Order: sequence, then structure tokens, then C-alpha cells
Amino acid sequence: MAAPAPPSLAVASAPPAAAEPQKVDYLNLPCPIPYEEISREALMSLKPELFEGMRFDFSKGLNQNFSLSHSVMMGPTEVPSQSSETIKIPTAHYEFGANFIDPKLMLFGRVLTDGRVNARLKCDLTDDLTLKANAQLTNEPHMSHGMFNFDYKGSDYRSQFQLGNGGLLGANYIQSVTPSLSLGGEVFWAGQHRKSGIGYAARYNTDKMVATGQVASTGMVALSYVQKISEKVSLASDFMYNYLSRDVTASVGYDYILRQCRLRGKIDSSGVVSSFLEERFNMGLNFILSAEIDHRKKDYKFGFGLTVGE
Amino acid sequence: MASKVSLKAGKGKVVKKSAAADEDEGRAAVAAKFVKEWSTWAMKKAKVITHYGFIPMVIIIGMNSDPKPSLSQLLSPV
Repeated sequence: MAAPAPPSLAVASAPPAAAEPQKVDYLNLPCPIPYEEISREALMSLKPELFEGMRFDFSKGLNQNFSLSHSVMMGPTEVPSQSSETIKIPTAHYEFGANFIDPKLMLFGRVLTDGRVNARLKCDLTDDLTLKANAQLTNEPHMSHGMFNFDYKGSDYRSQFQLGNGGLLGANYIQSVTPSLSLGGEVFWAGQHRKSGIGYAARYNTDKMVATGQVASTGMVALSYVQKISEKVSLASDFMYNYLSRDVTASVGYDYILRQCRLRGKIDSSGVVSSFLEERFNMGLNFILSAEIDHRKKDYKFGFGLTVGE
Repeated sequence: MASKVSLKAGKGKVVKKSAAADEDEGRAAVAAKFVKEWSTWAMKKAKVITHYGFIPMVIIIGMNSDPKPSLSQLLSPV
């Protein structure tokens, strides 16, 4: 009895001691986050899907890989206007969707009552090469967009090549430099507008925080910082600056992930306060409340909804 | 004399070369126009096919996956 106990205690104390002063193996770094998701923690906490009006989503799984979704949305939608006032037109639409999710292939399609189709495809061609395609198709001519992405994943780097309509070409590359720091860059060329750009990004993350920074030749500088205070609470802040048009926006927000609900709130430097609550009533039944108050433009948006299904 | 002759011969060669180059360029331009026209036609057809056929294709792939769901499950609202 006494003999096995000390060895187990010794074993239990050995791993924590070994984890702390770990020698960094620079030849064996982890694979970095994809370039377009470099600030995904900040995006998830600070940019929930705010909406106005009523929303009802019903999602039905026919088998493990295939599911259908029906969604009804009624509410005012904004119409772009020349004056500073926002013009809202009440609309109602129904959206039908079909999803097929396989380990190697993912298909996602949504069609609205006005004929717009939103389609996404993700296919693993080999272990390291992935093809992603994304299209928004409408009946109006010249208003449809499509984009193809080829992603190649190496042991500690990721690279992506993009091809879009309107002659859009882009490429990006991100590399893990240390276990916590990854650096990347991107170039793009828009054929139709004859514009090109280059950008750099960096991400530093530890268990408790994530800090990212992005600079682009289009004039955009974006910095974000997310701190995980506990398992349930995280705070995030975001700073976006355009050095060509001298436009600045800073926002600070919180994200509470509790057992029965998820509450996200944010306040902005342009006087916008917003909040989003998802409450789980029961297995598969979620209640959503969304609020966005823009004091400067006097635009108040409130929405409520129900989501049924996984 | 010799220089004049060589000059004339030189000019002739230059004229011939530019004509050949023009013909080559013309052929390349026509080929490029063909490729552009055909690729535009192909893109337009692909857009129409994707617009009308993507969701039916997803449904067909889903209905043929294991375990096979039935048609009543597809159409009923429950």
C-alpha cells in the first residue's frame, strides 16, 4: 500500500514541473490559425449577428450528415440612402436551406424567396489541400459574386490562393514563429477596379489572452485584444483605424458563456451600444434577443427570435 | 553601291519581319478573343447551373447518404 503511493505522487508532480521550463522545439511548432480567422476570438465576442425584427429558425436533421433548415425573418431592413438618415423598409422572407456535412465534404446551400442563392462548399482534396468555394447568386445581372480558395496546410504554416469573379486574385501565407506567435502576409489584386494591395498580420496568443494586429496597404490598421478572465467570462477590445480616410473606431465588449445562456455586449466609440443574448430553454430550443442602439444616428434596433433544432 | 544594296535588303527584311510579327500577333489576339468569349459563355452557363441546381444537388447527395432517409422525412415539417 505504501510502496505504490509515493511513485504515483512522484509521477503526478513530475509532469507539471516538466511543462513549465519546456525547451521550445523550433522544428516542431504547431500549425497556425488560418489567415482569415486570425482575430476570430475578437470577432466572435464583439460581432454577434445582430438583427432587427422577428426571426424564427427551424433546423431538422434527417440523418447524421444531412439536415434541412427553414427560417422566417420579418422586420425592417435598411436601404442605403444619400442623406444621413437611415431609411428602413419592412420586409419578410423565408429561407430554405440544406446542409450536408461529411468529414471530407461540406455543402451548405440557402435559397431565399426573392431568388437569391447562397452556396458554400468545402472539400478536402488530400490531407493537406482543401478547396473552398463560396457564391452569392442573384437573378439581377452583375450582382452575383463567387470565390474559390485553395488552402495548403504544412506542418507549421498555411498558405491560401484565392480566385474570385471580377478578376479578383489573392494569396496569403501564415507561419508559426514560436508556439505563441504567428506572422503572416497577404497580397491581392482586383482586376475590375485595377487595385492591388498587400497586408501583414501578427497573432500572439497564450492560454489566457489573444492579441492580433493587421496592417494593409488599403489604409486599414486593426488591432484586437481578448482576455479570458475565467472559463465563463472573457473581455475583448478592438481598434480599427484607416490612415487614408482618417476614420477611427474602437470598441470594448464582454462575453459571458454561462450554462444556460450566452450574453455578449459591446460599446463603441461611435456611440453604439449593442447586446445579444442567447438563452437555452430546453434541449434544442433557444431564445434570442438582440439590441443595437445608435445614439448618434438615433437608430434603435431591437429583435427577438426562436431557434428550434440543434 | 554595296551599302545601298545592303540597306535596301535590310529594309525588305524589316518589312517582312514586321508583317510576320503582325500576323503572329493577329493570330494570338484572335485566339485570346476566342478563349475570352468561350470562358465568358462557360461562366454564364456555370452560374445558371449553380443557381438552379446547387440545392437540388445537395438534397440528392443527402438523400443518398447512409442511413438513407425517406421522402416523407424530407417533406414533413416534424
